[in-house]
Amino acid sequence: MPAEVALPSDLENGPTDEELVASTVKGDLGAYDELIRRFQGRLYGVIYHLTSNHEDTNDLLMEVFDKAYRSLPTFRGQSSFYTWIYRIAINRSFNFLDKRKRRQGAMSLNELDEDGLPKLDLPDVSPQNDPNKSLMLNELQNKLNESMLKLSKEHRTVVTLFDIQGLAHAEIAKIMGCTEGTVRSRLHYAHKQLQKSLGIYLKK
Amino acid sequence: MSQKEDFSELQKLLRLKRLETPGQEYFNRFVDAFHTYQRREILQEEPWYAKVVEVLFEPWVAGVPRLATVAASAACLVAGVAFFLGPIQSGTAQLADGKVSHPRGIVVAAAQTNASLELQPELIETAAGGEEIQDRPLYVNGHNALAYDSRLTF
Repeated sequence: MPAEVALPSDLENGPTDEELVASTVKGDLGAYDELIRRFQGRLYGVIYHLTSNHEDTNDLLMEVFDKAYRSLPTFRGQSSFYTWIYRIAINRSFNFLDKRKRRQGAMSLNELDEDGLPKLDLPDVSPQNDPNKSLMLNELQNKLNESMLKLSKEHRTVVTLFDIQGLAHAEIAKIMGCTEGTVRSRLHYAHKQLQKSLGIYLKK
Repeated sequence: MSQKEDFSELQKLLRLKRLETPGQEYFNRFVDAFHTYQRREILQEEPWYAKVVEVLFEPWVAGVPRLATVAASAACLVAGVAFFLGPIQSGTAQLADGKVSHPRGIVVAAAQTNASLELQPELIETAAGGEEIQDRPLYVNGHNALAYDSRLTF
Protein backbone atom coordinates (compact mmCIF):
# COMPACT_ATOMS: atom_id res chain seq x y z
CA MET A 1 0.00 0.00 0.00
CA PRO A 2 1.44 3.39 -0.81
CA ALA A 3 1.85 5.42 2.31
CA GLU A 4 -0.03 8.42 1.06
CA VAL A 5 -2.80 8.70 -1.42
CA ALA A 6 -2.09 11.30 -4.08
CA LEU A 7 -3.58 14.68 -3.38
CA PRO A 8 -6.28 15.78 -5.77
CA SER A 9 -4.86 18.52 -7.89
CA ASP A 10 -7.74 20.90 -7.23
CA LEU A 11 -8.03 22.65 -3.93
CA GLU A 12 -11.14 22.00 -1.85
CA ASN A 13 -12.39 25.56 -2.23
CA GLY A 14 -11.40 27.47 -5.26
CA PRO A 15 -11.20 27.13 -9.00
CA THR A 16 -10.32 23.78 -10.53
CA ASP A 17 -7.10 23.31 -12.47
CA GLU A 18 -9.05 23.44 -15.71
CA GLU A 19 -10.68 26.76 -14.73
CA LEU A 20 -7.26 28.17 -13.92
CA VAL A 21 -5.96 26.95 -17.27
CA ALA A 22 -8.85 28.67 -19.05
CA SER A 23 -8.20 31.93 -17.16
CA THR A 24 -4.49 31.74 -17.99
CA VAL A 25 -5.19 31.29 -21.68
CA LYS A 26 -7.44 34.38 -21.53
CA GLY A 27 -4.48 36.34 -20.14
CA ASP A 28 -4.89 36.11 -16.37
CA LEU A 29 -1.29 35.59 -15.28
CA GLY A 30 -2.32 35.32 -11.62
CA ALA A 31 -4.17 32.12 -12.52
CA TYR A 32 -0.96 30.56 -13.79
CA ASP A 33 0.85 31.60 -10.59
CA GLU A 34 -1.82 29.67 -8.71
CA LEU A 35 -1.22 26.60 -10.87
CA ILE A 36 2.50 26.89 -10.15
CA ARG A 37 1.82 27.01 -6.41
CA ARG A 38 -0.37 23.92 -6.67
CA PHE A 39 2.17 21.82 -8.52
CA GLN A 40 5.61 23.14 -7.62
CA GLY A 41 6.13 20.81 -4.65
CA ARG A 42 5.05 17.62 -6.38
CA LEU A 43 6.88 18.36 -9.61
CA TYR A 44 9.97 19.33 -7.67
CA GLY A 45 9.79 15.91 -5.98
CA VAL A 46 9.46 14.00 -9.25
CA ILE A 47 12.33 15.80 -10.92
CA TYR A 48 14.56 15.69 -7.88
CA HIS A 49 14.08 11.95 -7.31
CA LEU A 50 14.98 11.38 -10.96
CA THR A 51 18.05 13.63 -11.03
CA SER A 52 19.23 13.57 -7.37
CA ASN A 53 20.51 17.11 -7.73
CA HIS A 54 18.80 20.22 -6.37
CA GLU A 55 20.40 22.71 -8.74
CA ASP A 56 19.42 20.68 -11.80
CA THR A 57 15.95 20.20 -10.35
CA ASN A 58 15.50 23.94 -9.91
CA ASP A 59 16.54 24.60 -13.54
CA LEU A 60 14.34 21.84 -14.89
CA LEU A 61 11.34 22.94 -12.83
CA MET A 62 11.61 26.45 -14.30
CA GLU A 63 11.83 24.93 -17.79
CA VAL A 64 8.79 22.74 -17.16
CA PHE A 65 6.57 25.62 -16.04
CA ASP A 66 7.85 27.77 -18.90
CA LYS A 67 7.23 25.05 -21.47
CA ALA A 68 3.76 24.36 -20.03
CA TYR A 69 2.90 28.08 -20.11
CA ARG A 70 3.92 28.38 -23.77
CA SER A 71 2.03 25.21 -24.68
CA LEU A 72 -1.17 26.03 -22.80
CA PRO A 73 -2.98 27.36 -25.91
CA THR A 74 -2.51 23.91 -27.48
CA PHE A 75 -3.66 22.05 -24.35
CA ARG A 76 -6.91 20.42 -25.50
CA GLY A 77 -7.97 18.97 -22.19
CA GLN A 78 -7.89 15.38 -23.48
CA SER A 79 -6.07 14.52 -20.26
CA SER A 80 -6.19 16.46 -17.01
CA PHE A 81 -3.79 19.35 -16.55
CA TYR A 82 -2.30 17.35 -13.71
CA THR A 83 -1.39 14.40 -15.98
CA TRP A 84 -0.24 16.73 -18.74
CA ILE A 85 2.21 18.75 -16.66
CA TYR A 86 3.56 15.63 -14.96
CA ARG A 87 4.24 14.23 -18.40
CA ILE A 88 6.14 17.37 -19.40
CA ALA A 89 8.20 17.17 -16.21
CA ILE A 90 9.07 13.51 -16.79
CA ASN A 91 9.94 14.00 -20.46
CA ARG A 92 12.17 16.97 -19.66
CA SER A 93 13.86 15.00 -16.89
CA PHE A 94 14.42 12.03 -19.20
CA ASN A 95 16.01 14.29 -21.83
CA PHE A 96 18.22 15.80 -19.17
CA LEU A 97 19.23 12.36 -17.88
CA ASP A 98 20.12 11.20 -21.40
CA LYS A 99 22.30 14.27 -21.90
CA ARG A 100 23.92 13.78 -18.51
CA LYS A 101 24.64 10.15 -19.32
CA ARG A 102 26.40 11.19 -22.53
CA ARG A 103 28.37 13.81 -20.65
CA GLN A 104 29.44 11.44 -17.90
CA GLY A 105 32.39 10.26 -19.96
CA ALA A 106 33.62 13.83 -19.95
CA MET A 107 32.95 14.48 -16.25
CA SER A 108 35.93 15.09 -14.02
CA LEU A 109 36.61 12.66 -11.21
CA ASN A 110 35.57 15.35 -8.75
CA GLU A 111 32.06 15.23 -10.14
CA LEU A 112 31.71 11.45 -9.81
CA ASP A 113 31.51 9.21 -6.79
CA GLU A 114 33.45 5.98 -6.32
CA ASP A 115 30.83 4.03 -8.34
CA GLY A 116 31.16 6.38 -11.30
CA LEU A 117 27.75 7.94 -10.65
CA PRO A 118 27.24 11.71 -10.45
CA LYS A 119 27.83 12.92 -6.93
CA LEU A 120 24.61 13.42 -5.02
CA ASP A 121 23.44 16.70 -3.67
CA LEU A 122 21.58 15.76 -0.52
CA PRO A 123 19.92 18.04 2.01
CA ASP A 124 20.64 17.40 5.67
CA VAL A 125 17.62 15.53 7.01
CA SER A 126 19.34 14.09 10.07
CA PRO A 127 18.56 15.03 13.68
CA GLN A 128 21.06 17.60 14.88
CA ASN A 129 21.20 16.43 18.49
CA ASP A 130 22.39 12.87 17.91
CA PRO A 131 25.63 12.67 15.89
CA ASN A 132 25.57 8.85 15.64
CA LYS A 133 22.03 8.72 14.40
CA SER A 134 22.80 11.57 12.06
CA LEU A 135 25.77 9.71 10.59
CA MET A 136 23.75 6.55 10.08
CA LEU A 137 20.88 8.41 8.50
CA ASN A 138 23.21 10.20 6.12
CA GLU A 139 24.82 6.92 5.11
CA LEU A 140 21.42 5.38 4.58
CA GLN A 141 20.29 8.34 2.54
CA ASN A 142 23.40 8.10 0.37
CA LYS A 143 22.95 4.39 -0.16
CA LEU A 144 19.28 4.85 -0.97
CA ASN A 145 20.02 7.47 -3.61
CA GLU A 146 22.85 5.47 -5.10
CA SER A 147 20.54 2.49 -5.42
CA MET A 148 17.87 4.65 -7.03
CA LEU A 149 20.37 6.03 -9.55
CA LYS A 150 21.33 2.52 -10.57
CA LEU A 151 17.76 1.84 -11.70
CA SER A 152 16.74 2.75 -15.25
CA LYS A 153 14.92 6.04 -15.56
CA GLU A 154 11.59 4.28 -16.19
CA HIS A 155 11.96 2.14 -13.07
CA ARG A 156 13.07 5.12 -11.02
CA THR A 157 10.02 7.03 -12.20
CA VAL A 158 7.53 4.39 -11.10
CA VAL A 159 9.21 4.09 -7.70
CA THR A 160 9.13 7.86 -7.32
CA LEU A 161 5.50 8.20 -8.33
CA PHE A 162 4.25 5.18 -6.39
CA ASP A 163 6.38 4.83 -3.28
CA ILE A 164 7.45 8.41 -2.70
CA GLN A 165 4.60 10.44 -4.13
CA GLY A 166 1.87 7.91 -3.45
CA LEU A 167 0.13 7.97 -6.84
CA ALA A 168 -2.12 5.09 -7.85
CA HIS A 169 -1.12 2.62 -10.57
CA ALA A 170 -3.80 3.98 -12.92
CA GLU A 171 -2.55 7.55 -12.57
CA ILE A 172 1.05 6.50 -13.14
CA ALA A 173 -0.03 4.58 -16.25
CA LYS A 174 -1.73 7.70 -17.64
CA ILE A 175 1.28 9.89 -16.91
CA MET A 176 3.77 7.46 -18.40
CA GLY A 177 1.56 6.51 -21.32
CA CYS A 178 1.63 2.76 -20.62
CA THR A 179 -0.68 0.13 -19.20
CA GLU A 180 -1.26 -0.50 -15.52
CA GLY A 181 0.26 -3.94 -16.03
CA THR A 182 3.49 -2.35 -17.23
CA VAL A 183 3.52 -0.07 -14.20
CA ARG A 184 3.06 -3.01 -11.85
CA SER A 185 5.74 -5.06 -13.55
CA ARG A 186 8.23 -2.18 -13.54
CA LEU A 187 7.47 -1.55 -9.90
CA HIS A 188 7.98 -5.17 -8.98
CA TYR A 189 11.30 -5.32 -10.81
CA ALA A 190 12.47 -2.03 -9.26
CA HIS A 191 11.50 -3.21 -5.75
CA LYS A 192 13.46 -6.41 -6.25
CA GLN A 193 16.53 -4.50 -7.41
CA LEU A 194 16.32 -2.05 -4.52
CA GLN A 195 15.73 -4.83 -2.02
CA LYS A 196 18.87 -6.52 -3.29
CA SER A 197 21.08 -3.45 -2.95
CA LEU A 198 19.55 -2.17 0.30
CA GLY A 199 19.06 -5.56 1.96
CA ILE A 200 21.42 -4.90 4.88
CA TYR A 201 19.41 -1.85 5.90
CA LEU A 202 16.08 -3.67 5.93
CA LYS A 203 14.60 -5.63 8.81
CA LYS A 204 14.24 -9.31 8.04
CA MET B 1 -0.68 -12.12 -1.98
CA SER B 2 2.39 -11.61 0.09
CA GLN B 3 4.43 -9.82 -2.58
CA LYS B 4 3.59 -6.36 -1.23
CA GLU B 5 4.33 -7.49 2.32
CA ASP B 6 7.79 -8.49 1.19
CA PHE B 7 8.52 -4.95 0.12
CA SER B 8 6.92 -3.15 3.04
CA GLU B 9 10.23 -2.49 4.80
CA LEU B 10 11.72 -1.20 1.59
CA GLN B 11 8.73 1.07 1.05
CA LYS B 12 9.17 2.51 4.55
CA LEU B 13 12.77 3.24 3.68
CA LEU B 14 11.80 4.88 0.41
CA ARG B 15 9.44 7.20 2.28
CA LEU B 16 12.54 8.73 3.86
CA LYS B 17 13.12 10.41 0.53
CA ARG B 18 10.08 12.58 1.10
CA LEU B 19 12.23 14.52 3.55
CA GLU B 20 14.55 15.59 0.74
CA THR B 21 12.89 18.90 -0.06
CA PRO B 22 14.49 22.32 -0.26
CA GLY B 23 12.14 23.75 2.39
CA GLN B 24 9.11 26.02 2.41
CA GLU B 25 11.18 29.19 1.94
CA TYR B 26 12.27 27.95 -1.49
CA PHE B 27 8.67 27.34 -2.57
CA ASN B 28 7.52 30.72 -1.20
CA ARG B 29 10.00 32.43 -3.49
CA PHE B 30 9.58 30.12 -6.47
CA VAL B 31 6.86 32.06 -8.31
CA ASP B 32 8.93 35.27 -8.22
CA ALA B 33 12.02 33.37 -9.33
CA PHE B 34 9.99 31.88 -12.17
CA HIS B 35 8.87 35.33 -13.36
CA THR B 36 12.49 36.46 -13.43
CA TYR B 37 13.43 33.32 -15.36
CA GLN B 38 10.65 33.87 -17.89
CA ARG B 39 11.66 37.49 -18.53
CA ARG B 40 15.26 36.41 -19.04
CA GLU B 41 14.18 33.64 -21.42
CA ILE B 42 12.12 36.07 -23.49
CA LEU B 43 15.07 38.44 -23.78
CA GLN B 44 17.47 35.65 -24.70
CA GLU B 45 15.23 33.86 -27.22
CA GLU B 46 17.49 31.61 -29.28
CA PRO B 47 17.44 31.79 -33.08
CA TRP B 48 16.00 28.72 -34.86
CA TYR B 49 19.39 27.46 -35.96
CA ALA B 50 20.72 27.31 -32.40
CA LYS B 51 18.88 24.02 -31.88
CA VAL B 52 20.46 22.56 -35.02
CA VAL B 53 23.91 23.64 -33.86
CA GLU B 54 23.25 22.16 -30.44
CA VAL B 55 22.18 18.81 -31.89
CA LEU B 56 25.20 18.70 -34.19
CA PHE B 57 27.88 19.92 -31.84
CA GLU B 58 26.67 19.23 -28.32
CA PRO B 59 28.46 15.87 -28.14
CA TRP B 60 31.71 17.56 -29.15
CA VAL B 61 31.31 20.33 -26.62
CA ALA B 62 30.87 17.63 -24.02
CA GLY B 63 34.03 15.99 -25.28
CA VAL B 64 32.35 12.81 -26.52
CA PRO B 65 32.31 12.62 -30.32
CA ARG B 66 29.23 10.72 -31.47
CA LEU B 67 29.85 8.45 -34.45
CA ALA B 68 26.70 9.48 -36.29
CA THR B 69 27.54 13.16 -35.89
CA VAL B 70 31.11 12.66 -37.04
CA ALA B 71 30.01 10.61 -40.05
CA ALA B 72 27.29 13.09 -41.03
CA SER B 73 29.67 16.04 -40.69
CA ALA B 74 32.34 14.31 -42.77
CA ALA B 75 29.77 13.48 -45.48
CA CYS B 76 28.58 17.13 -45.53
CA LEU B 77 32.16 18.34 -45.79
CA VAL B 78 32.95 16.02 -48.72
CA ALA B 79 29.71 16.98 -50.50
CA GLY B 80 30.45 20.67 -49.97
CA VAL B 81 33.99 20.41 -51.34
CA ALA B 82 32.77 18.41 -54.33
CA PHE B 83 30.06 20.98 -55.05
CA PHE B 84 32.42 23.94 -54.99
CA LEU B 85 35.23 22.35 -56.94
CA GLY B 86 32.98 20.90 -59.64
CA PRO B 87 33.66 17.67 -61.52
CA ILE B 88 37.31 16.80 -61.67
CA GLN B 89 37.89 15.50 -65.21
CA SER B 90 40.48 15.77 -67.86
CA GLY B 91 40.18 18.53 -70.47
CA THR B 92 38.87 18.30 -74.00
CA ALA B 93 39.52 15.46 -76.45
CA GLN B 94 39.36 15.47 -80.21
CA LEU B 95 36.67 13.16 -81.63
CA ALA B 96 36.91 11.32 -84.95
CA ASP B 97 34.21 13.43 -86.65
CA GLY B 98 36.03 16.67 -85.94
CA LYS B 99 33.95 17.56 -82.88
CA VAL B 100 35.55 18.12 -79.52
CA SER B 101 34.49 16.21 -76.44
CA HIS B 102 34.41 18.51 -73.43
CA PRO B 103 33.43 17.55 -69.85
CA ARG B 104 30.40 19.84 -70.12
CA GLY B 105 29.21 18.82 -73.54
CA ILE B 106 30.19 18.08 -77.13
CA VAL B 107 31.70 21.03 -78.94
CA VAL B 108 30.50 20.92 -82.50
CA ALA B 109 33.40 22.82 -84.03
CA ALA B 110 36.69 23.48 -82.41
CA ALA B 111 39.21 26.18 -83.13
CA GLN B 112 42.01 24.53 -85.04
CA THR B 113 43.86 27.61 -86.08
CA ASN B 114 43.77 31.30 -85.48
CA ALA B 115 42.17 31.68 -88.90
CA SER B 116 39.02 30.04 -87.69
CA LEU B 117 38.62 32.74 -85.09
CA GLU B 118 37.60 35.21 -87.78
CA LEU B 119 34.47 37.20 -87.00
CA GLN B 120 31.15 36.36 -88.61
CA PRO B 121 28.69 39.13 -89.60
CA GLU B 122 25.38 39.05 -87.72
CA LEU B 123 22.10 40.94 -88.16
CA ILE B 124 21.04 42.56 -84.87
CA GLU B 125 18.35 44.97 -83.71
CA THR B 126 19.51 48.48 -82.84
CA ALA B 127 18.32 50.57 -79.90
CA ALA B 128 16.48 52.88 -82.32
CA GLY B 129 14.35 49.94 -83.52
CA GLY B 130 16.16 49.38 -86.81
CA GLU B 131 18.50 46.62 -87.88
CA GLU B 132 22.17 46.57 -88.73
CA ILE B 133 24.92 44.09 -89.41
CA GLN B 134 27.62 43.69 -86.79
CA ASP B 135 30.59 41.37 -86.48
CA ARG B 136 30.31 39.06 -83.49
CA PRO B 137 32.58 36.21 -82.42
CA LEU B 138 30.93 32.80 -82.33
CA TYR B 139 33.05 31.26 -79.62
CA VAL B 140 31.13 31.16 -76.43
CA ASN B 141 32.93 30.05 -73.37
CA GLY B 142 36.65 30.24 -73.47
CA HIS B 143 37.07 26.58 -74.40
CA ASN B 144 38.25 27.53 -77.89
CA ALA B 145 34.88 26.52 -79.30
CA LEU B 146 33.53 28.40 -82.29
CA ALA B 147 30.09 26.85 -82.07
CA TYR B 148 28.44 24.38 -79.83
CA ASP B 149 25.43 22.18 -79.65
CA SER B 150 22.83 24.45 -78.07
CA ARG B 151 21.01 21.52 -76.50
CA LEU B 152 23.93 21.06 -74.16
CA THR B 153 24.30 23.63 -71.48
CA PHE B 154 27.66 24.79 -70.23
